[in-house]
Amino acid sequence: MNTRKTLTVAFFVVVLAMGYYSMNAAPVVSDEAHTYEGGLEWQTEPGTALEMAQSQDKPILVYYWATWCTYCDTYSDNHYRNETVRAELDGYVLLAINLDEPGPGEDLARQHEATYPPQHRIMTPEGETVTSIEGYVERQQMLRILRRGAEEAT
Amino acid sequence: MIFGTTAGTWLLAVAAFAGPLATVLLGYQYAADTRAYDRVIRVATSVTTLALASALVYLTVQFVTGDYTNAYVWDNTANYLPLLYKLTGVYASNKGSVLLWALLTAVVATTTVLLNRFDVRGARLTQALAMGVVSVFATMLVSDSPFVPLAAEFPDIAANGVPADGSGLNPLLVDPFMAIHPPITFSAYALLVVPFALGVTHFVSRLRGHDSVFVEWIDSTTRWLRASWLLLTAAITLGGIWAYRVLGWGGFWSWDPVETAVLIPWLGLSAVLHSLNRYRTTGQYSVLAPAATAILFPLVVFATTVVRSGVFRSVHSFAGGGIGSGILFILGSTTALAVVPAFVYWFRLQDAAEGATADGGPRFGQPTILHAAVLAFVLLAFVSVWGLSFPVIRNLASGVEVGVDARYYNLWSFPVVVFMLLGGGAYAQRERMSGRTVLGTVAAVLVVTLAVGIGLARPEWQLATTEPFDPLYYRVVGGLSVLTVVPPAAYFAAGWTGRFVDRVARIDSRRVRLKETGVVLIHVGAAILVVAVSLVYVFSATGSVGIAGATGLDDSGEPVVRAVEGTPYTVEVSDYRPANTPTVTEAALSPAEVLSTDPSATAVLVRGEVTEVQRFENVTIAQLDGSSVWVGADRGTVAFEPGTEVVVRGSLSDPRSTNIDALVYTDRENAGTVDDPPTDVYQPRVVDHRFQVTLYRGEEVVADGIVAEQSYRGRDMNTNDPLIARGPLGDTYVVGTMTRGGGLSIEVSRYPLANQMWFGVLTMLVGMCLLFVFDPAAGARD
Repeated sequence: MNTRKTLTVAFFVVVLAMGYYSMNAAPVVSDEAHTYEGGLEWQTEPGTALEMAQSQDKPILVYYWATWCTYCDTYSDNHYRNETVRAELDGYVLLAINLDEPGPGEDLARQHEATYPPQHRIMTPEGETVTSIEGYVERQQMLRILRRGAEEAT
Repeated sequence: MIFGTTAGTWLLAVAAFAGPLATVLLGYQYAADTRAYDRVIRVATSVTTLALASALVYLTVQFVTGDYTNAYVWDNTANYLPLLYKLTGVYASNKGSVLLWALLTAVVATTTVLLNRFDVRGARLTQALAMGVVSVFATMLVSDSPFVPLAAEFPDIAANGVPADGSGLNPLLVDPFMAIHPPITFSAYALLVVPFALGVTHFVSRLRGHDSVFVEWIDSTTRWLRASWLLLTAAITLGGIWAYRVLGWGGFWSWDPVETAVLIPWLGLSAVLHSLNRYRTTGQYSVLAPAATAILFPLVVFATTVVRSGVFRSVHSFAGGGIGSGILFILGSTTALAVVPAFVYWFRLQDAAEGATADGGPRFGQPTILHAAVLAFVLLAFVSVWGLSFPVIRNLASGVEVGVDARYYNLWSFPVVVFMLLGGGAYAQRERMSGRTVLGTVAAVLVVTLAVGIGLARPEWQLATTEPFDPLYYRVVGGLSVLTVVPPAAYFAAGWTGRFVDRVARIDSRRVRLKETGVVLIHVGAAILVVAVSLVYVFSATGSVGIAGATGLDDSGEPVVRAVEGTPYTVEVSDYRPANTPTVTEAALSPAEVLSTDPSATAVLVRGEVTEVQRFENVTIAQLDGSSVWVGADRGTVAFEPGTEVVVRGSLSDPRSTNIDALVYTDRENAGTVDDPPTDVYQPRVVDHRFQVTLYRGEEVVADGIVAEQSYRGRDMNTNDPLIARGPLGDTYVVGTMTRGGGLSIEVSRYPLANQMWFGVLTMLVGMCLLFVFDPAAGARD
């Protein structure tokens, strides 16, 4: 086999290996019942989230996001991966709704008038909205809102 | 309206008739090897192009004059827009941009028919294929016409008669860069239609045992491709500048699906131009070069499908909403045409045990390196194709949604780019030196590269932040220093500069020298670009701070000063000044205009000078400008003084009086003078929230100016005006976002080497221009 044919064969091997490896290495964003924004496990069905909130007596944090939303990426990288924020989120049931494909979350999104991402709502276990974050807030402010929301919603 | 169809659609119908006619006749002439219908064909192709051109001109006239009987016009423009943006509204959405694309393609196809420079049988098939694409476009436009009447598309709106104003243009598109981005992109796309047709014809001719047109047209094809390459590079650059300036999202490239999609034909073009170079001089790549040339057009159709289909959500989703099955038909048929004949030919070639032309020469000669370069471009394109595709594939297969982020694209592309730089450097050096010397140099550069990559891998210099649970590949490549790219880039730039100096010394022709200058500028520019982009990615830093109550600030008061978390900067916000467009006074109607408004309007805004006041038991009314329009309010609530000019918002009522035609009834909140208008109750089209911001690093002022966010009535979207402080070593970028309750979130980013990046692109563009204009081997006359 000449050099260029060898190169071509090597090329196809690299393509196949790369394709297979990268597809399996890609982070899971969502499966049947969850989505994994910022590496956290979020519910995607409002009904399930409300049941969990009632049985655990926790407030619900609703996160409206979209794949193309750059502020959502900032939330993921900067806020949700932060230890302090995560500690605060332990006190919440997490519900994330993709505004492009809201699925069962469509009614809730309409009720919350969440038309563009990113948006957050804090709800009591009974489903009453107590706080809204529209758009982007930086981390410290989000922490303050989460702390206050946890008190107000329980 | 003629037979229930608008005049514009009739023009498109003419194109949709003449186009297929020309296609069929050209196809017949090819099949029967005759030229009997040449005159008819010339007329039919010209008519197609003229009809499409007339349709575009007609649509443009409708935009400029504000003909809101047309649904597309109503939906994409408005009276307030300046002329430039009335013109660009034409291609602001799907239908108009397809029309523009169709026309440009028709111009290219018709040019080849009318010039008819190549009198071989295959030329007719090439022209037939090009006209075939135009015909599909024309048919698509008839079935999904930009001339649909308002009453058909928006019956609710049309029920009240022809609207006085349009619904407006997407605010993101109101930008000079966006005005030229689409025409350049579509020109680049249109230029690829003839190379596509030539590539297909080549294999069909070969299979049928005829002479190939590809060989004859190769020089002019190269020019078509180079022009397309130049325009596509410019289009991508303009898009990047737009994202940087207008989106205010802090960045020029974010691996958005559309950005990724347009990169694929660009990489494809680069690969093809490199392989054609060899094909032209030695005849190598006898299958690959024409096949790759043919596949470029389907690739740009694929890019368009990604932009418009709505399958991939992105910043370009304003153009979504389904482009219809027409574009999918073009995608499917052109792909099949580009791939199938080439494959059949290739199979037969294997049977004939050809391949004798394929090799020879030294193991590590320039042909081998060039081959690797072509493969590497394809590999880069594959990274992008795969990044777009596999989430969709995996989702369809298993219902699991996986994420593709910048890290995927960056970390898989990076090693390929590093090897391309090494290979490109070796190619240039190999021209003057022996294989052994070059291999030795490459080995030395590789050692330096690895030493830099591992030795200088400080956490803040690493390509990506990785976690222990990340896959091995990401940890290894992500853990490398970004400076890994510097030694190969330097070797690459030095190699090409050396080759240039060596060649120019031996060349007398001015044109060839200029061509060689073009070649070296493209390569050196690419090296600068790659280094700058890598460094910008890794060293850009962002921090943000929230400022509560920012809208309460004014110039005379105490400014707010805050440290920006995660950066060495301090930000000072000293003033907030919202600007309404139009202002309430500008938006107010004159008394004469009030009389001509729709009487069912719930509220009108009027301004005028009070010329007479009458007081009744419960009501005070005032005449405006001595006209038959009066304003009124409950007695004692609004003070109407003769001689003052007032701005009043209220409900319109008919007072049934002989000398009063219209009475605007108002109250305290909705009335004011011109100096103190009722701004609070007024909803302007645009509110420009302008904040005076100063950014400090220690005591030093880094940036000082206005950071603004615009909000739009009736639209869930904002635009931002960032404050950008340019410096020789990088840009500092400040963008503000309004938060709930009058707060402001300030985000400060640092983009090192941003200007070097633009410089790299500019160098490449200049090089491409020189190569296009001065290459004597590709049509430029000496």
